[in-house]
Amino acid sequence: MNNNEPVLRIRDLRKTYMQGKIPVHALDGVSFDVNKGELLSIVGPSGSGKSTLLSMIGLLDRPTDGSVFIDDVEITKAKESEAPRIRREKIGFVFQHFNLLSTLTAMENVDIAMRFNGTSKNRRKERAFQLLTKVGLGDRVKHKPSELSGGQQQRVAIARALANEPAILLADEPTGAVDTKTREVIVELLKRLSEKGQTIIVVTHDMDVAQQTDRIITMRDGMIASDTGVAGNEEQGL
Amino acid sequence: MFDLIIRSLTQRKMRTGLTIFGIALGIFAVVVMGGMSEHMNLVVDKSLKLLANNIQIEPDGTYGGVGTLDESKIRQIKRIPGVSDAYGVLFTMLDPESGGGGLTGGDMVFGVRPEKQMIDAKLTSGRYLVPGDGYKAVVGSSIARKFNLKVGDELEMKSKRMQRTSSITNTRNVSVVGILEYTGSFFDGSVQIPLDNAQKFYKMENTVSFIYAEPAPGVDTSELARRIDLSVDKVKSTSPEQLRKDIEGNLMIFSLITISAAVLAAIIGGLSVMNTMLMSVSERTKEFGLLKALGAERKTILLMTMGEAALMGVIGGIIGIAAGGVLTHFLNKSFEAQGSALFAITPRLVMIGLLFAISLGIICGTYPAYRATKMSPMEALRYE
Repeated sequence: MNNNEPVLRIRDLRKTYMQGKIPVHALDGVSFDVNKGELLSIVGPSGSGKSTLLSMIGLLDRPTDGSVFIDDVEITKAKESEAPRIRREKIGFVFQHFNLLSTLTAMENVDIAMRFNGTSKNRRKERAFQLLTKVGLGDRVKHKPSELSGGQQQRVAIARALANEPAILLADEPTGAVDTKTREVIVELLKRLSEKGQTIIVVTHDMDVAQQTDRIITMRDGMIASDTGVAGNEEQGL
Repeated sequence: MFDLIIRSLTQRKMRTGLTIFGIALGIFAVVVMGGMSEHMNLVVDKSLKLLANNIQIEPDGTYGGVGTLDESKIRQIKRIPGVSDAYGVLFTMLDPESGGGGLTGGDMVFGVRPEKQMIDAKLTSGRYLVPGDGYKAVVGSSIARKFNLKVGDELEMKSKRMQRTSSITNTRNVSVVGILEYTGSFFDGSVQIPLDNAQKFYKMENTVSFIYAEPAPGVDTSELARRIDLSVDKVKSTSPEQLRKDIEGNLMIFSLITISAAVLAAIIGGLSVMNTMLMSVSERTKEFGLLKALGAERKTILLMTMGEAALMGVIGGIIGIAAGGVLTHFLNKSFEAQGSALFAITPRLVMIGLLFAISLGIICGTYPAYRATKMSPMEALRYE
């Protein structure tokens, strides 16, 4: 269900860190577009810049140069004070190690994401239950993370990421901490969400996961080495 | 937000408990020490009010103690222009073997001329002294309670005189004719008997401890006190303003010592809050990073962390005030049985204790909260 309107546009994105006195180009002129509903994976060896790229898109870090547009708004120009609003309205994060709050139940872990934009308590409760049911955990809402398996925890994390109906779901190694069987469940869930119009970017080391996505961007030394979404690149990429 | 604060505190029960205990202990010290200081202030304030507007004259060189003055000095003082009247009072201890006495406690016998007795304090029963009363007494409320006295009862006075290496103790009963109501001043621990009988019993004829000079209307009391000092040999006069100043000066030192000790205890409690919060912030680095990634604003995280510190302050404060209140209540009860209370937990003190606890929590929680908000979400999320 890919629409041809880009929800994300990245233009000449650069990030340079200083390692002592030596500049390290973590991102070196990255440009690409992502359409609404696309399920895209970013692959590449460690240090290729994929996680840095994800941080820039998610406004967790600032680029040295270049631009990121989400829904035609240049988020890289947003002030520091505007960043939290953009994060909660436009971005949903899924992390490798789930990052659920251990003291809260599954329901409360989803609920907390909606607190920061002032959603009413009843609406939060209703939506959290709806989302947990959607990811197949309707009967686990009152369980704490320690009472859930790795796969279940990651599904709670996905439900949390979807809570504010973000424009883009960013998943950093979402299957990195689960077994192969659970991996399939997570990938299936992501595919299902994408089919329903959710734009998803997955950073992964796992080619089995990448191959199940609509498009694969391979990164090397801070640059895009290949992009199966661009004509003529498919073979180079895989 | 509040539920998250509660959850975070209850998650680390032991640490939260110890921190609250630290604050409670500090505030407990503030309440108990402050209560003592407040009680002293109240007693002195009320006592000074009851002493009215008279100039107090004592023998020169008796700093803080009670000396003796020859009654002839009363006549000299009366002749000084600006003095409308002057009278002597003999102060002695009711029980010379028990020690104590003075403005701050202990039971005292006041030998007074019946027409000059302190009538600003009302009677709960009986009558004031009248001229011609022999060994009759008007007693303060604490004395009445301590010795369980009613009008008509007898009270034993003791006098002790040193003779070479031994001492002779004389006793004599006086009959109670009146009981004063509670004044909260040192008059509560007083036994007033006619001056001439007091002088006779204590073998101190023609002697008084203090002379009080009543200024004529419109006379500057400080000026008059100076004039008395110049006109009468070997006396020291203190105007009511000076007396208040002197006593308040002494009280200030006492208050400073007690309050400083209490504040020190409270600051130690505050440091325990800071330590707890720093540990907590450091442990929750990843959690704060996550909350930021989920769109939490800096102020939300700041409020959460400071809220935790302030809540521990409030709870610790309430426990400290309650514990201090309970302890001072029971101590007062036990002291009252002996005549006088020692602590006064005033609304002002409770407010100070509570505000102090909350500010302590907030101030000591600010730096940890600032550290929590300063973290970049990416660094925080990568933190292990």
